[in-house]
Amino acid sequence: MMSNNNNEYVIEVENLVVQYGTKRVLDNISFKVKKGEIFVILGGSGCGKSTLLRTLVGLIRPHSGKIIMFGKDVTTMSTQEQIEVRKRIGMCFQNSALFNSMTVGENVALPLKEHTRLAESTIEIMTQIKLDLVGLGGCAHLYPSQLSGGMKKRAGIARAMALDPEIIFYDEPSSGLDPIVAAGLDHLIRKMQNTFNLTSVVVTHDLESVQIIADRVCLLHAGKIIAIGDLKEMELNTDSYLRQFFTRTPNPEENQSSSAILDSFEDM
Amino acid sequence: MIRYFLGSIGRSFLNGVHSALVVCVLIMDTLNWLFLQPLLGRGLRWRSAVEHFVEYGFRSIPIVGLISLLVGIIMGMQSAYTLQQWGATIFIANLVGISALRELAPLMSAILITGRSGSAITAEIGTMKVSEEVDALMVMGLNPVKFLVVPKFLGMVIAVPCVTVLSMAIMIAGGFIVAVGILGIDFWAYFDQTASALVSKDLFSGMVKSVFFGLTICWVGIYRGFQVEGSAESVGKMTTSSVVTSIFTIIIVDLVWTTLFYFTE
Repeated sequence: MMSNNNNEYVIEVENLVVQYGTKRVLDNISFKVKKGEIFVILGGSGCGKSTLLRTLVGLIRPHSGKIIMFGKDVTTMSTQEQIEVRKRIGMCFQNSALFNSMTVGENVALPLKEHTRLAESTIEIMTQIKLDLVGLGGCAHLYPSQLSGGMKKRAGIARAMALDPEIIFYDEPSSGLDPIVAAGLDHLIRKMQNTFNLTSVVVTHDLESVQIIADRVCLLHAGKIIAIGDLKEMELNTDSYLRQFFTRTPNPEENQSSSAILDSFEDM
Repeated sequence: MIRYFLGSIGRSFLNGVHSALVVCVLIMDTLNWLFLQPLLGRGLRWRSAVEHFVEYGFRSIPIVGLISLLVGIIMGMQSAYTLQQWGATIFIANLVGISALRELAPLMSAILITGRSGSAITAEIGTMKVSEEVDALMVMGLNPVKFLVVPKFLGMVIAVPCVTVLSMAIMIAGGFIVAVGILGIDFWAYFDQTASALVSKDLFSGMVKSVFFGLTICWVGIYRGFQVEGSAESVGKMTTSSVVTSIFTIIIVDLVWTTLFYFTE
Protein backbone atom coordinates (compact mmCIF):
# COMPACT_ATOMS: atom_id res chain seq x y z
CA MET A 1 0.00 0.00 0.00
CA MET A 2 1.07 3.53 -0.66
CA SER A 3 1.85 6.11 1.97
CA ASN A 4 -0.66 8.82 2.82
CA ASN A 5 1.48 11.39 1.15
CA ASN A 6 1.11 9.79 -2.27
CA ASN A 7 -2.57 9.25 -1.69
CA GLU A 8 -3.25 12.95 -1.70
CA TYR A 9 -3.33 12.97 -5.50
CA VAL A 10 -5.42 10.22 -7.07
CA ILE A 11 -4.88 11.32 -10.67
CA GLU A 12 -1.67 12.82 -11.95
CA VAL A 13 -1.45 13.74 -15.62
CA GLU A 14 2.01 14.58 -16.95
CA ASN A 15 2.77 16.08 -20.38
CA LEU A 16 -0.16 14.33 -22.01
CA VAL A 17 -0.31 14.54 -25.81
CA VAL A 18 -3.17 13.11 -27.87
CA GLN A 19 -3.14 13.14 -31.65
CA TYR A 20 -5.66 12.14 -34.30
CA GLY A 21 -3.39 11.43 -37.26
CA THR A 22 -1.19 14.50 -37.39
CA LYS A 23 -3.72 16.77 -35.69
CA ARG A 24 -2.76 17.50 -32.11
CA VAL A 25 -5.93 17.55 -29.99
CA LEU A 26 -4.30 17.74 -26.57
CA ASP A 27 -0.94 19.44 -26.32
CA ASN A 28 1.28 18.83 -23.32
CA ILE A 29 -1.39 18.72 -20.61
CA SER A 30 -0.37 18.37 -16.97
CA PHE A 31 -2.53 18.57 -13.86
CA LYS A 32 -3.24 16.75 -10.62
CA VAL A 33 -6.52 15.85 -8.98
CA LYS A 34 -6.67 15.69 -5.18
CA LYS A 35 -8.47 12.95 -3.34
CA GLY A 36 -12.08 13.84 -2.53
CA GLU A 37 -12.36 17.02 -4.58
CA ILE A 38 -14.56 17.93 -7.53
CA PHE A 39 -12.26 18.88 -10.36
CA VAL A 40 -13.96 20.61 -13.27
CA ILE A 41 -12.53 20.65 -16.78
CA LEU A 42 -14.00 23.69 -18.52
CA GLY A 43 -13.72 24.67 -22.12
CA GLY A 44 -15.54 25.67 -25.29
CA SER A 45 -16.85 23.26 -27.88
CA GLY A 46 -14.11 21.36 -29.66
CA CYS A 47 -11.34 22.37 -27.25
CA GLY A 48 -10.52 18.74 -26.51
CA LYS A 49 -12.17 18.40 -23.10
CA SER A 50 -14.18 15.31 -24.03
CA THR A 51 -11.04 13.84 -25.59
CA LEU A 52 -9.20 14.50 -22.33
CA LEU A 53 -11.87 12.69 -20.33
CA ARG A 54 -11.94 9.74 -22.73
CA THR A 55 -8.15 9.53 -22.52
CA LEU A 56 -8.29 9.55 -18.72
CA VAL A 57 -10.67 6.57 -18.61
CA GLY A 58 -8.59 4.72 -21.20
CA LEU A 59 -10.86 4.90 -24.25
CA ILE A 60 -8.25 6.81 -26.24
CA ARG A 61 -4.59 5.87 -26.25
CA PRO A 62 -2.38 8.93 -25.75
CA HIS A 63 0.48 9.69 -28.11
CA SER A 64 2.83 10.41 -25.22
CA GLY A 65 2.75 11.40 -21.57
CA LYS A 66 1.68 9.73 -18.37
CA ILE A 67 -1.63 9.26 -16.58
CA ILE A 68 -0.99 8.07 -13.06
CA MET A 69 -4.07 6.76 -11.29
CA PHE A 70 -3.90 5.22 -7.82
CA GLY A 71 -0.11 5.51 -8.07
CA LYS A 72 0.28 3.54 -11.31
CA ASP A 73 0.69 4.67 -14.90
CA VAL A 74 -2.44 3.50 -16.72
CA THR A 75 -1.03 4.13 -20.19
CA THR A 76 1.54 1.34 -19.92
CA MET A 77 -0.59 -1.21 -18.07
CA SER A 78 -1.51 -4.71 -19.19
CA THR A 79 -5.15 -5.35 -20.07
CA GLN A 80 -5.72 -7.22 -16.82
CA GLU A 81 -4.33 -4.37 -14.71
CA GLN A 82 -6.45 -1.95 -16.67
CA ILE A 83 -9.59 -3.92 -15.81
CA GLU A 84 -8.62 -3.74 -12.13
CA VAL A 85 -8.32 0.05 -12.40
CA ARG A 86 -11.62 0.28 -14.24
CA LYS A 87 -13.39 -1.47 -11.37
CA ARG A 88 -12.31 1.44 -9.17
CA ILE A 89 -13.63 4.17 -11.47
CA GLY A 90 -17.09 5.02 -12.78
CA MET A 91 -18.13 7.11 -15.71
CA CYS A 92 -21.33 8.95 -16.61
CA PHE A 93 -21.60 9.56 -20.31
CA GLN A 94 -23.04 12.65 -21.95
CA ASN A 95 -26.06 10.79 -23.29
CA SER A 96 -26.02 8.41 -20.32
CA ALA A 97 -25.17 5.41 -22.59
CA LEU A 98 -27.52 3.07 -20.74
CA PHE A 99 -27.93 -0.29 -22.44
CA ASN A 100 -31.24 0.08 -24.22
CA SER A 101 -31.92 -3.63 -24.33
CA MET A 102 -31.88 -3.89 -20.52
CA THR A 103 -34.06 -2.40 -17.81
CA VAL A 104 -32.64 0.32 -15.58
CA GLY A 105 -32.22 -2.21 -12.77
CA GLU A 106 -30.35 -4.64 -15.03
CA ASN A 107 -28.14 -1.80 -16.19
CA VAL A 108 -27.09 -1.02 -12.64
CA ALA A 109 -26.76 -4.70 -11.74
CA LEU A 110 -24.54 -5.54 -14.73
CA PRO A 111 -21.16 -4.48 -13.28
CA LEU A 112 -22.04 -6.20 -10.00
CA LYS A 113 -22.96 -9.42 -11.79
CA GLU A 114 -19.82 -9.42 -13.90
CA HIS A 115 -17.21 -8.27 -11.41
CA THR A 116 -18.39 -9.75 -8.11
CA ARG A 117 -19.48 -13.18 -6.93
CA LEU A 118 -22.42 -11.88 -4.92
CA ALA A 119 -25.68 -13.79 -4.72
CA GLU A 120 -28.56 -12.74 -6.94
CA SER A 121 -30.58 -11.45 -3.97
CA THR A 122 -27.69 -9.33 -2.67
CA ILE A 123 -27.20 -7.79 -6.09
CA GLU A 124 -30.90 -6.97 -6.18
CA ILE A 125 -30.69 -5.15 -2.85
CA MET A 126 -27.53 -3.27 -3.84
CA THR A 127 -29.12 -2.22 -7.14
CA GLN A 128 -32.10 -0.90 -5.21
CA ILE A 129 -29.82 1.05 -2.86
CA LYS A 130 -27.95 2.66 -5.77
CA LEU A 131 -31.22 3.61 -7.46
CA ASP A 132 -32.62 5.06 -4.23
CA LEU A 133 -29.42 7.07 -3.90
CA VAL A 134 -30.09 8.93 -7.14
CA GLY A 135 -33.83 9.17 -6.52
CA LEU A 136 -34.95 6.51 -8.98
CA GLY A 137 -36.14 3.95 -6.44
CA GLY A 138 -39.29 2.98 -8.31
CA CYS A 139 -37.78 2.82 -11.79
CA ALA A 140 -35.82 -0.44 -11.71
CA HIS A 141 -38.25 -2.24 -14.01
CA LEU A 142 -38.43 0.55 -16.63
CA TYR A 143 -36.45 0.58 -19.87
CA PRO A 144 -34.14 3.55 -20.61
CA SER A 145 -36.42 4.66 -23.47
CA GLN A 146 -39.19 5.21 -20.92
CA LEU A 147 -37.11 7.68 -18.88
CA SER A 148 -36.73 11.45 -19.31
CA GLY A 149 -33.32 13.00 -20.02
CA GLY A 150 -32.65 13.89 -16.40
CA MET A 151 -33.73 10.47 -15.14
CA LYS A 152 -31.43 8.80 -17.68
CA LYS A 153 -28.48 10.81 -16.37
CA ARG A 154 -29.38 9.81 -12.82
CA ALA A 155 -29.60 6.17 -13.85
CA GLY A 156 -26.19 6.61 -15.51
CA ILE A 157 -24.81 7.87 -12.20
CA ALA A 158 -26.37 4.91 -10.36
CA ARG A 159 -24.68 2.53 -12.79
CA ALA A 160 -21.34 4.32 -12.45
CA MET A 161 -21.71 4.04 -8.66
CA ALA A 162 -22.53 0.32 -8.76
CA LEU A 163 -19.09 -0.92 -7.76
CA ASP A 164 -18.52 1.88 -5.20
CA PRO A 165 -15.79 3.56 -7.23
CA GLU A 166 -13.18 5.90 -5.82
CA ILE A 167 -13.18 8.23 -8.80
CA ILE A 168 -16.19 9.17 -10.89
CA PHE A 169 -16.05 10.94 -14.24
CA TYR A 170 -18.94 13.01 -15.57
CA ASP A 171 -19.12 14.00 -19.23
CA GLU A 172 -21.28 17.14 -19.55
CA PRO A 173 -23.76 16.19 -16.82
CA SER A 174 -26.02 19.20 -17.36
CA SER A 175 -26.10 19.28 -21.17
CA GLY A 176 -29.54 19.03 -22.70
CA LEU A 177 -31.37 19.49 -19.40
CA ASP A 178 -33.63 22.30 -18.23
CA PRO A 179 -32.22 24.55 -15.46
CA ILE A 180 -34.20 22.93 -12.65
CA VAL A 181 -33.21 19.36 -13.54
CA ALA A 182 -29.63 20.48 -14.18
CA ALA A 183 -29.48 22.13 -10.75
CA GLY A 184 -30.85 18.94 -9.19
CA LEU A 185 -28.06 17.00 -10.87
CA ASP A 186 -25.45 19.46 -9.61
CA HIS A 187 -26.68 18.90 -6.07
CA LEU A 188 -26.60 15.16 -6.61
CA ILE A 189 -22.97 15.37 -7.72
CA ARG A 190 -22.15 17.43 -4.62
CA LYS A 191 -24.04 15.01 -2.37
CA MET A 192 -22.20 12.00 -3.82
CA GLN A 193 -18.88 13.68 -3.18
CA ASN A 194 -19.80 14.66 0.39
CA THR A 195 -21.30 11.32 1.35
CA PHE A 196 -18.72 8.97 -0.11
CA ASN A 197 -15.65 11.26 -0.18
CA LEU A 198 -15.68 10.57 -3.88
CA THR A 199 -13.17 12.18 -6.20
CA SER A 200 -15.07 13.61 -9.15
CA VAL A 201 -13.82 14.84 -12.49
CA VAL A 202 -16.47 16.81 -14.36
CA VAL A 203 -16.27 18.01 -17.94
CA THR A 204 -18.67 20.84 -18.69
CA HIS A 205 -19.15 24.23 -20.30
CA ASP A 206 -22.02 25.19 -18.01
CA LEU A 207 -20.76 28.14 -15.96
CA GLU A 208 -23.65 28.08 -13.51
CA SER A 209 -23.08 24.49 -12.49
CA VAL A 210 -19.37 25.25 -12.12
CA GLN A 211 -20.24 27.82 -9.44
CA ILE A 212 -22.09 25.15 -7.45
CA ILE A 213 -19.92 22.07 -7.81
CA ALA A 214 -16.34 23.08 -8.53
CA ASP A 215 -13.59 22.81 -5.93
CA ARG A 216 -10.96 23.44 -8.54
CA VAL A 217 -11.24 24.32 -12.21
CA CYS A 218 -9.01 24.03 -15.23
CA LEU A 219 -9.80 25.90 -18.42
CA LEU A 220 -8.90 24.22 -21.67
CA HIS A 221 -8.52 26.07 -24.96
CA ALA A 222 -7.26 24.65 -28.27
CA GLY A 223 -5.78 21.62 -26.57
CA LYS A 224 -3.85 23.55 -23.90
CA ILE A 225 -4.56 24.38 -20.28
CA ILE A 226 -4.95 28.14 -19.94
CA ALA A 227 -5.56 28.36 -16.24
CA ILE A 228 -5.92 26.05 -13.29
CA GLY A 229 -7.03 26.80 -9.75
CA ASP A 230 -10.09 27.40 -7.58
CA LEU A 231 -12.90 29.79 -8.52
CA LYS A 232 -11.35 32.76 -6.68
CA GLU A 233 -8.12 32.37 -8.60
CA MET A 234 -10.14 32.26 -11.79
CA GLU A 235 -11.78 35.59 -10.90
CA LEU A 236 -8.37 37.17 -10.47
CA ASN A 237 -6.88 35.72 -13.66
CA THR A 238 -6.55 38.29 -16.45
CA ASP A 239 -6.06 35.99 -19.45
CA SER A 240 -8.17 37.40 -22.29
CA TYR A 241 -9.75 34.07 -23.35
CA LEU A 242 -10.54 33.22 -19.74
CA ARG A 243 -12.19 36.60 -19.16
CA GLN A 244 -14.14 36.19 -22.40
CA PHE A 245 -15.24 32.68 -21.38
CA PHE A 246 -16.35 33.67 -17.89
CA THR A 247 -18.18 36.79 -19.04
CA ARG A 248 -19.85 34.98 -21.97
CA THR A 249 -18.63 37.48 -24.58
CA PRO A 250 -18.92 36.42 -28.24
CA ASN A 251 -15.95 36.56 -30.61
CA PRO A 252 -15.81 40.02 -32.26
CA GLU A 253 -15.30 38.79 -35.85
CA GLU A 254 -18.07 36.19 -35.60
CA ASN A 255 -20.30 38.89 -34.23
CA GLN A 256 -19.58 41.08 -37.22
CA SER A 257 -20.04 38.44 -39.92
CA SER A 258 -23.30 37.20 -38.52
CA SER A 259 -24.65 40.70 -38.09
CA ALA A 260 -23.65 41.54 -41.68
CA ILE A 261 -25.92 38.75 -42.91
CA LEU A 262 -28.68 39.81 -40.57
CA ASP A 263 -28.29 43.41 -41.71
CA SER A 264 -28.65 42.37 -45.34
CA PHE A 265 -31.90 40.63 -44.42
CA GLU A 266 -33.11 43.75 -42.69
CA ASP A 267 -32.40 45.78 -45.84
CA MET A 268 -34.69 43.63 -47.93
CA MET B 1 -4.16 11.45 -64.46
CA ILE B 2 -2.20 8.18 -64.48
CA ARG B 3 -0.78 9.08 -61.13
CA TYR B 4 -4.26 9.67 -59.75
CA PHE B 5 -5.44 6.35 -61.18
CA LEU B 6 -2.52 4.35 -59.80
CA GLY B 7 -2.82 6.19 -56.51
CA SER B 8 -6.46 5.21 -56.09
CA ILE B 9 -5.62 1.56 -56.85
CA GLY B 10 -2.85 1.66 -54.24
CA ARG B 11 -5.09 3.28 -51.65
CA SER B 12 -7.92 0.82 -52.11
CA PHE B 13 -5.41 -2.05 -51.92
CA LEU B 14 -4.02 -0.70 -48.64
CA ASN B 15 -7.58 -0.24 -47.35
CA GLY B 16 -8.32 -3.84 -48.28
CA VAL B 17 -5.24 -5.09 -46.44
CA HIS B 18 -6.12 -2.99 -43.43
CA SER B 19 -9.70 -4.27 -43.19
CA ALA B 20 -8.46 -7.85 -43.68
CA LEU B 21 -6.12 -7.33 -40.72
CA VAL B 22 -8.93 -5.88 -38.61
CA VAL B 23 -11.17 -8.85 -39.45
CA CYS B 24 -8.33 -11.24 -38.53
CA VAL B 25 -7.94 -9.57 -35.14
CA LEU B 26 -11.70 -9.77 -34.65
CA ILE B 27 -11.68 -13.49 -35.51
CA MET B 28 -8.79 -14.16 -33.13
CA ASP B 29 -10.53 -12.22 -30.38
CA THR B 30 -13.80 -14.09 -30.91
CA LEU B 31 -12.10 -17.48 -30.82
CA ASN B 32 -10.15 -16.43 -27.75
CA TRP B 33 -13.30 -15.44 -25.85
CA LEU B 34 -15.19 -18.46 -27.19
CA PHE B 35 -12.73 -21.23 -26.36
CA LEU B 36 -9.79 -20.04 -24.31
CA GLN B 37 -11.22 -17.56 -21.79
CA PRO B 38 -14.14 -19.78 -20.64
CA LEU B 39 -11.53 -22.42 -19.76
CA LEU B 40 -9.75 -19.82 -17.64
CA GLY B 41 -12.98 -19.25 -15.73
CA ARG B 42 -14.12 -16.07 -17.44
CA GLY B 43 -17.46 -17.59 -18.39
CA LEU B 44 -19.59 -17.53 -21.48
CA ARG B 45 -22.89 -15.73 -21.84
CA TRP B 46 -25.00 -18.79 -22.59
CA ARG B 47 -28.38 -17.21 -22.08
CA SER B 48 -27.63 -14.43 -24.48
CA ALA B 49 -26.33 -16.95 -27.03
CA VAL B 50 -29.56 -18.95 -26.81
CA GLU B 51 -31.63 -15.80 -27.22
CA HIS B 52 -29.67 -14.94 -30.34
CA PHE B 53 -30.05 -18.48 -31.65
CA VAL B 54 -33.83 -18.20 -31.26
CA GLU B 55 -33.81 -14.82 -32.99
CA TYR B 56 -31.60 -15.82 -35.94
CA GLY B 57 -32.79 -19.40 -36.33
CA PHE B 58 -36.23 -20.10 -34.95
CA ARG B 59 -37.79 -16.76 -35.90
CA SER B 60 -36.49 -17.01 -39.47
CA ILE B 61 -38.15 -20.40 -40.05
CA PRO B 62 -41.45 -19.04 -41.48
CA ILE B 63 -39.84 -16.89 -44.16
CA VAL B 64 -37.07 -19.37 -45.02
CA GLY B 65 -39.64 -22.19 -45.11
CA LEU B 66 -41.98 -20.32 -47.43
CA ILE B 67 -39.22 -19.24 -49.80
CA SER B 68 -37.73 -22.76 -49.83
CA LEU B 69 -41.11 -24.24 -50.75
CA LEU B 70 -41.55 -21.77 -53.59
CA VAL B 71 -38.01 -22.32 -54.86
CA GLY B 72 -38.61 -26.08 -54.73
CA ILE B 73 -41.78 -25.71 -56.82
CA ILE B 74 -40.04 -23.41 -59.30
CA MET B 75 -37.15 -25.82 -59.68
CA GLY B 76 -39.56 -28.71 -60.15
CA MET B 77 -41.38 -26.92 -62.94
CA GLN B 78 -38.24 -25.62 -64.62
CA SER B 79 -36.67 -29.07 -64.73
CA ALA B 80 -39.96 -30.63 -65.86
CA TYR B 81 -39.91 -28.27 -68.83
CA THR B 82 -36.70 -29.84 -70.17
CA LEU B 83 -37.10 -33.40 -68.90
CA GLN B 84 -40.61 -33.80 -70.33
CA GLN B 85 -39.14 -33.65 -73.86
CA TRP B 86 -37.25 -36.89 -73.12
CA GLY B 87 -40.03 -38.48 -71.12
CA ALA B 88 -37.72 -38.49 -68.13
CA THR B 89 -39.78 -36.54 -65.63
CA ILE B 90 -38.83 -38.99 -62.86
CA PHE B 91 -35.36 -37.39 -62.89
CA ILE B 92 -36.89 -34.24 -61.47
CA ALA B 93 -36.21 -35.99 -58.18
CA ASN B 94 -32.46 -36.08 -58.88
CA LEU B 95 -32.32 -32.51 -60.11
CA VAL B 96 -34.31 -30.96 -57.30
CA GLY B 97 -32.76 -33.13 -54.60
CA ILE B 98 -29.14 -32.60 -55.55
CA SER B 99 -29.37 -28.91 -56.27
CA ALA B 100 -31.31 -28.30 -53.06
CA LEU B 101 -28.83 -30.13 -50.85
CA ARG B 102 -25.60 -29.06 -52.49
CA GLU B 103 -26.43 -25.52 -53.44
CA LEU B 104 -29.77 -23.84 -53.19
CA ALA B 105 -30.88 -24.57 -49.64
CA PRO B 106 -27.61 -23.37 -48.04
CA LEU B 107 -27.43 -20.36 -50.32
CA MET B 108 -31.06 -19.26 -49.98
CA SER B 109 -31.02 -19.68 -46.20
CA ALA B 110 -27.77 -17.74 -45.91
CA ILE B 111 -28.98 -14.89 -48.08
CA LEU B 112 -32.30 -14.65 -46.22
CA ILE B 113 -30.59 -14.71 -42.83
CA THR B 114 -28.16 -12.04 -44.04
CA GLY B 115 -31.05 -9.78 -44.92
CA ARG B 116 -32.90 -10.54 -41.72
CA SER B 117 -30.18 -10.85 -39.09
CA GLY B 118 -26.85 -9.80 -40.62
CA SER B 119 -28.26 -6.33 -41.09
CA ALA B 120 -29.72 -6.40 -37.57
CA ILE B 121 -26.32 -7.29 -36.08
CA THR B 122 -24.67 -4.34 -37.83
CA ALA B 123 -27.47 -1.96 -36.87
CA GLU B 124 -27.42 -3.08 -33.24
CA ILE B 125 -23.66 -2.80 -32.75
CA GLY B 126 -23.56 0.41 -34.78
CA THR B 127 -26.28 2.02 -32.69
CA MET B 128 -24.54 0.93 -29.52
CA LYS B 129 -21.35 2.54 -30.77
CA VAL B 130 -23.09 5.80 -31.64
CA SER B 131 -24.82 6.00 -28.26
CA GLU B 132 -21.51 5.27 -26.46
CA GLU B 133 -22.81 1.97 -25.07
CA VAL B 134 -19.71 0.17 -26.35
CA ASP B 135 -17.54 2.74 -24.57
CA ALA B 136 -19.61 2.27 -21.43
CA LEU B 137 -18.90 -1.47 -21.53
CA MET B 138 -15.18 -0.83 -21.88
CA VAL B 139 -15.08 1.70 -19.04
CA MET B 140 -16.83 -0.86 -16.83
CA GLY B 141 -13.97 -3.22 -17.58
CA LEU B 142 -16.19 -5.52 -19.64
CA ASN B 143 -14.93 -6.78 -22.97
CA PRO B 144 -17.22 -5.91 -25.93
CA VAL B 145 -16.13 -9.04 -27.78
CA LYS B 146 -17.25 -11.22 -24.89
CA PHE B 147 -20.50 -9.31 -24.43
CA LEU B 148 -21.60 -8.47 -27.93
CA VAL B 149 -19.70 -10.65 -30.36
CA VAL B 150 -19.44 -14.14 -28.87
CA PRO B 151 -23.17 -14.66 -28.12
CA LYS B 152 -24.12 -13.46 -31.61
CA PHE B 153 -21.40 -15.63 -33.10
CA LEU B 154 -22.53 -18.77 -31.30
CA GLY B 155 -26.18 -18.12 -32.10
CA MET B 156 -25.50 -17.53 -35.77
CA VAL B 157 -23.09 -20.41 -36.37
CA ILE B 158 -25.57 -22.87 -34.87
CA ALA B 159 -28.68 -21.27 -36.37
CA VAL B 160 -27.64 -21.21 -40.03
CA PRO B 161 -26.99 -24.98 -40.40
CA CYS B 162 -30.21 -25.79 -38.52
CA VAL B 163 -32.28 -23.57 -40.76
CA THR B 164 -30.47 -24.97 -43.79
CA VAL B 165 -31.45 -28.57 -42.97
CA LEU B 166 -35.05 -27.50 -42.73
CA SER B 167 -34.81 -25.58 -45.95
CA MET B 168 -33.38 -28.66 -47.73
CA ALA B 169 -36.33 -30.79 -46.64
CA ILE B 170 -38.89 -28.18 -47.64
CA MET B 171 -37.28 -27.58 -51.03
CA ILE B 172 -37.44 -31.29 -51.82
CA ALA B 173 -41.07 -31.23 -50.71
CA GLY B 174 -41.65 -28.41 -53.22
CA GLY B 175 -40.32 -30.66 -55.98
CA PHE B 176 -42.67 -33.40 -54.70
CA ILE B 177 -45.66 -31.12 -55.10
CA VAL B 178 -44.86 -30.47 -58.76
CA ALA B 179 -43.95 -34.05 -59.64
CA VAL B 180 -46.72 -35.83 -57.79
CA GLY B 181 -49.44 -33.17 -57.88
CA ILE B 182 -49.04 -31.76 -61.40
CA LEU B 183 -47.19 -34.38 -63.42
CA GLY B 184 -48.92 -37.34 -61.76
CA ILE B 185 -45.78 -39.32 -60.94
CA ASP B 186 -46.39 -42.09 -58.41
CA PHE B 187 -45.62 -40.91 -54.86
CA TRP B 188 -43.46 -43.89 -53.88
CA ALA B 189 -41.62 -43.98 -57.20
CA TYR B 190 -40.63 -40.36 -56.71
CA PHE B 191 -39.68 -41.01 -53.08
CA ASP B 192 -37.45 -43.97 -54.04
CA GLN B 193 -35.88 -41.96 -56.85
CA THR B 194 -35.03 -39.12 -54.45
CA ALA B 195 -33.63 -41.50 -51.87
CA SER B 196 -31.43 -43.28 -54.40
CA ALA B 197 -30.23 -40.04 -56.00
CA LEU B 198 -28.88 -38.49 -52.83
CA VAL B 199 -25.72 -39.62 -51.12
CA SER B 200 -24.45 -38.50 -47.75
CA LYS B 201 -21.76 -36.42 -49.38
CA ASP B 202 -24.43 -34.14 -50.86
CA LEU B 203 -25.76 -33.42 -47.41
CA PHE B 204 -22.24 -33.06 -46.01
CA SER B 205 -21.15 -30.51 -48.61
CA GLY B 206 -24.29 -28.49 -48.05
CA MET B 207 -23.76 -28.48 -44.29
CA VAL B 208 -20.10 -27.48 -44.55
CA LYS B 209 -21.13 -24.57 -46.74
CA SER B 210 -23.84 -23.48 -44.36
CA VAL B 211 -21.44 -23.39 -41.40
CA PHE B 212 -19.08 -21.14 -43.34
CA PHE B 213 -21.98 -18.99 -44.51
CA GLY B 214 -22.92 -18.53 -40.86
CA LEU B 215 -19.37 -17.46 -40.01
CA THR B 216 -19.38 -15.02 -42.92
CA ILE B 217 -22.73 -13.39 -42.02
CA CYS B 218 -21.67 -13.00 -38.43
CA TRP B 219 -18.20 -11.59 -38.94
CA VAL B 220 -19.16 -9.24 -41.74
CA GLY B 221 -22.12 -7.96 -39.71
CA ILE B 222 -20.00 -7.38 -36.62
CA TYR B 223 -17.09 -5.86 -38.53
CA ARG B 224 -19.37 -3.38 -40.27
CA GLY B 225 -21.09 -2.62 -36.98
CA PHE B 226 -17.82 -1.66 -35.31
CA GLN B 227 -16.95 0.49 -38.35
CA VAL B 228 -19.83 2.84 -37.56
CA GLU B 229 -18.53 6.27 -36.60
CA GLY B 230 -20.42 9.20 -35.18
CA SER B 231 -23.90 9.48 -36.55
CA ALA B 232 -27.13 7.66 -37.29
CA GLU B 233 -26.44 8.15 -40.99
CA SER B 234 -23.34 6.02 -40.63
CA VAL B 235 -25.44 3.24 -39.09
CA GLY B 236 -27.64 3.18 -42.19
CA LYS B 237 -24.68 3.21 -44.55
CA MET B 238 -22.89 0.41 -42.75
CA THR B 239 -26.05 -1.71 -42.55
CA THR B 240 -26.48 -1.52 -46.31
CA SER B 241 -22.81 -2.20 -46.82
CA SER B 242 -23.01 -5.13 -44.40
CA VAL B 243 -25.69 -6.87 -46.48
CA VAL B 244 -23.89 -6.26 -49.78
CA THR B 245 -20.48 -7.37 -48.48
CA SER B 246 -22.01 -10.35 -46.77
CA ILE B 247 -23.86 -11.65 -49.85
CA PHE B 248 -20.79 -11.05 -52.00
CA THR B 249 -18.55 -12.93 -49.56
CA ILE B 250 -21.08 -15.75 -49.28
CA ILE B 251 -20.97 -16.24 -53.07
CA ILE B 252 -17.15 -16.29 -52.98
CA VAL B 253 -17.14 -18.82 -50.13
CA ASP B 254 -19.72 -20.87 -52.04
CA LEU B 255 -17.52 -20.87 -55.13
CA VAL B 256 -14.46 -21.96 -53.14
CA TRP B 257 -16.24 -24.87 -51.46
CA THR B 258 -18.02 -25.94 -54.65
CA THR B 259 -14.66 -26.04 -56.41
CA LEU B 260 -13.10 -28.02 -53.57
CA PHE B 261 -15.93 -30.55 -53.53
CA TYR B 262 -15.94 -30.79 -57.31
CA PHE B 263 -12.28 -31.74 -57.50
CA THR B 264 -12.35 -34.16 -54.59
CA GLU B 265 -15.10 -36.45 -55.81
